[in-house]
Amino acid sequence: MPLHDLAEWIRHIALFTAVRESRLIYPIILSTHLSCIGVFGGLILVTDLRLLGLVLTRYSIASVVSQLRPWKWAGFLLMISMGILLAGSKANIYFDNPYFVMKISTLLLIGVHFLIFRKAVYRDETEIRDNQPRSSGIAKLAGATSLALWITVVAMGRWIAYYDRPDSAYLTAPLQQTTTLTVASTHLTNVRPD
Amino acid sequence: MPYDPNTNPLNSQEWIFPVLEVIHISFFSASIGLASVVNLRLWGAVFDRVPAIDLNRKLFLWTLAGLTVVLVSGMMLFTMDPYRYFYNSAFRFKMIALLVAIIYHYAVHSIFISRSREGSAIARLSAIVETALWVSVAFGGIFFAFE
Repeated sequence: MPLHDLAEWIRHIALFTAVRESRLIYPIILSTHLSCIGVFGGLILVTDLRLLGLVLTRYSIASVVSQLRPWKWAGFLLMISMGILLAGSKANIYFDNPYFVMKISTLLLIGVHFLIFRKAVYRDETEIRDNQPRSSGIAKLAGATSLALWITVVAMGRWIAYYDRPDSAYLTAPLQQTTTLTVASTHLTNVRPD
Repeated sequence: MPYDPNTNPLNSQEWIFPVLEVIHISFFSASIGLASVVNLRLWGAVFDRVPAIDLNRKLFLWTLAGLTVVLVSGMMLFTMDPYRYFYNSAFRFKMIALLVAIIYHYAVHSIFISRSREGSAIARLSAIVETALWVSVAFGGIFFAFE
């Protein structure tokens, strides 16, 4: 099944149709998505600042990570759920949006980041055993890359609304990756974030 | 002579608006997120060996710096199309919620953080009120685009 047919099929699932067609539900879900990024993103920020050795340095990385972990997961799951509802309801305009693709790719990279640094940083057995707070070079690297990845997610998320898809290319080449940014020239009249 | 947004240098390049928006949203997220860490502490959910007042003190400057960037970038965005913002009721709601949230954060909530015992009912209630105020600001910001 071509990708744009799949996107159309997803968009017409009853749940996504209901979200899209409600004047109130869609902005409420979008606001909840943003609030989750804020409230729970802060927990990620604190973790990253600790990894960089900038806050809570009296406490071990392991304890900061383990205390915030369940809340970060709860926030992440809520944020992802809202994100799926938003993306599914407008799948036909998201699937070939390069900023959406970059956002999802960056989220996947965050998963890879966790796998790479899990043993050496997030669950550093030596630090847990010694109970000695420290911020090694690799912990700082993990913090800096995590921060950069999350900022990219937020930036790409915002930029999704500014992608101007060439409609003719949409009909003939669903995987068109051309990026056209037409923002300030139009934002005075018709900015409507999706 | 009425203000003409087209004369604003911020409107001279098409990338300025989205970049300012990304900065605005990123720092807003960071600020309310840091405040949320203290609120979770008031609920006794995290860092139970750190007094809330200490945690608040450690994150104070980060939160203040974040809110300062939010306000400056927000004002810059406002000047890019003030009429559209001013006559939008969701934007007005957002401004009122923001003002109340900032006053509450620095004038009321900080008193509860410093004087109330962590886990007490009043401290927990204050944490909920503050979170609700920040979330209201986010809702106002999103609904602005849908009016």
